[in-house]
Amino acid sequence: MNKKTYPIRMAIPGLLIYLIIFVIPTFASFYFSMTRWNLRTSEFTGLENYVTFFTMTSTKSALKNTAIYASVCCLAKLILGLLLARYVCSGVRSGNYLKILIFFPTLLGNVVTATAFQSILEPNGIVNQVLAVFGIPTVRFLTDKRLALATCCVIDIWQGLGTATIIFIAGLSAIPRDYYEAASIDGARDFQVFRKITLPLMVPSINTVLTLSLIGGIRTYDLIYTLTGGGPGYATEVMGSVVYKLFSRGSYGLATTGNVIIFVIVSVIVFPLNAFVSRWEEQL
Amino acid sequence: MMVRKRSLFSKIAEVFLVVLTIFTHWIVFYFAIITSGKNKAEAGRLDLRLPTEWNFVENYTYVLTYQNGAFLRALKNSVILTVFSILILVLTASATAYILQRRTGLIGKISNKIIIAGLIVPASIVPTYWMLKLLHIAGTLPGLVLVEVATLFPFATMLYKGYIASIPKEIDEAAIIDGCSAEALFARIIFPMIKPITATVVILRSIVVYNDFQNPQYYMSGSRSQTVQLFVYSMKSAWTTDYGHMFAAAILVSMPMILLYLFLNQKILEGMTAGAVKG
Repeated sequence: MNKKTYPIRMAIPGLLIYLIIFVIPTFASFYFSMTRWNLRTSEFTGLENYVTFFTMTSTKSALKNTAIYASVCCLAKLILGLLLARYVCSGVRSGNYLKILIFFPTLLGNVVTATAFQSILEPNGIVNQVLAVFGIPTVRFLTDKRLALATCCVIDIWQGLGTATIIFIAGLSAIPRDYYEAASIDGARDFQVFRKITLPLMVPSINTVLTLSLIGGIRTYDLIYTLTGGGPGYATEVMGSVVYKLFSRGSYGLATTGNVIIFVIVSVIVFPLNAFVSRWEEQL
Repeated sequence: MMVRKRSLFSKIAEVFLVVLTIFTHWIVFYFAIITSGKNKAEAGRLDLRLPTEWNFVENYTYVLTYQNGAFLRALKNSVILTVFSILILVLTASATAYILQRRTGLIGKISNKIIIAGLIVPASIVPTYWMLKLLHIAGTLPGLVLVEVATLFPFATMLYKGYIASIPKEIDEAAIIDGCSAEALFARIIFPMIKPITATVVILRSIVVYNDFQNPQYYMSGSRSQTVQLFVYSMKSAWTTDYGHMFAAAILVSMPMILLYLFLNQKILEGMTAGAVKG
């Protein structure tokens, strides 16, 4: 009955595409990361690529920047998203307006977002025009080494906050009203309600936002790349952009090494984090 | 008294927050729109003043006719990419999810694990490119379509699986007893029942594919068929100080998404959260 009703052949097309385009290349990457490779022939070189990768000047900056970028953006989206969601769900009149507006940037391509912010943050752009009124000297948001990464973080948060907020709103609206009513009858204070009711029931959505934005922060590079190209110097170089640059200059083996390192970083952080959050969920 | 005082405070806070959005969002949108209608000299000043000479028609026509309509050709490629990626994604992910949800054997369990891992693990770019080369589809639209399908496959499949779990197996059994073939059962009975999730996948993943920059940049570089995102990116360096034309292009490329959001914003916001909360 089972085999005839649910023939495996119906699952084959999907699994086949996934297997050939995603799974096999993933396994192959471990081998190719240890080769000198021109896409046609590969020569096994052991761990040489890993040594080269970690001694490249851009790698140290990239590792540091990726850590900062991913954690800052992730934390900001968690906190701001949670606050905004709570505000929107508190029944204010502007709730729907805020929700729709804040989500809108998510629909813009990274190239468009980058174009807009580059122009606004130019030395002669609007922000500096306003600063000049207050007598503040020109700030080079995207070309000053000390500022560029922070600016990229702010722009990433601007674009990605909507997703976090919407997920939190859904989490909040799934909490039954009765819980709050019961708490207010018992005389619970606002903070107690948040600590004892809202937070524990929000753990699944917090987990979703945490995982999504952390993974996104570690493995994507296109917004940063379109904003600064990794510069000035290596000030905004991230792991993803290092890999892209190696790929585009034809260092295929070395690019794959970088890819495997991203793979390891994501796995080492995200899998235990998920386990940790689900343990936390049980405790609360 | 206490209550009134608080509501006054929260009213002020609300007004403050709404006014704040003018600076965080509306100025950006206003700037982009107004700049796209300025001539080169005025746009180059990068200010918020209204143009003295309205150049909307000139700027947008320039972008649309640039290099004999390169923009429209790129847009056509993006539309083809989006339509085929989503079509194949919906057909394959829903069927796979259905079979994997219903069967409890070993193959199902292993496939399940591999698909879940794909939600987290980043794609291996060069080996993927190498695979496309082996299949002789590197740098082509069909190749890129397959990459997009494979990238989105895990999430879509998990979404479908969650939803199909709520459809009772008795329905399948009744249909089979009535002499329905397995394929017909899925196509005529199950697929129509999972329409809500299909709508979510279609709307949200279309946005992702249309806006995708990373995959086209890797797999289509050097190819003659660009996507519209790549076109705007290449124009960014060609028109560096030509802000009027650049913003006209930026707005044109965003137009499909803006229109979609104008009409379907509630649907999009609802869809965003489908499956997300469960993690």
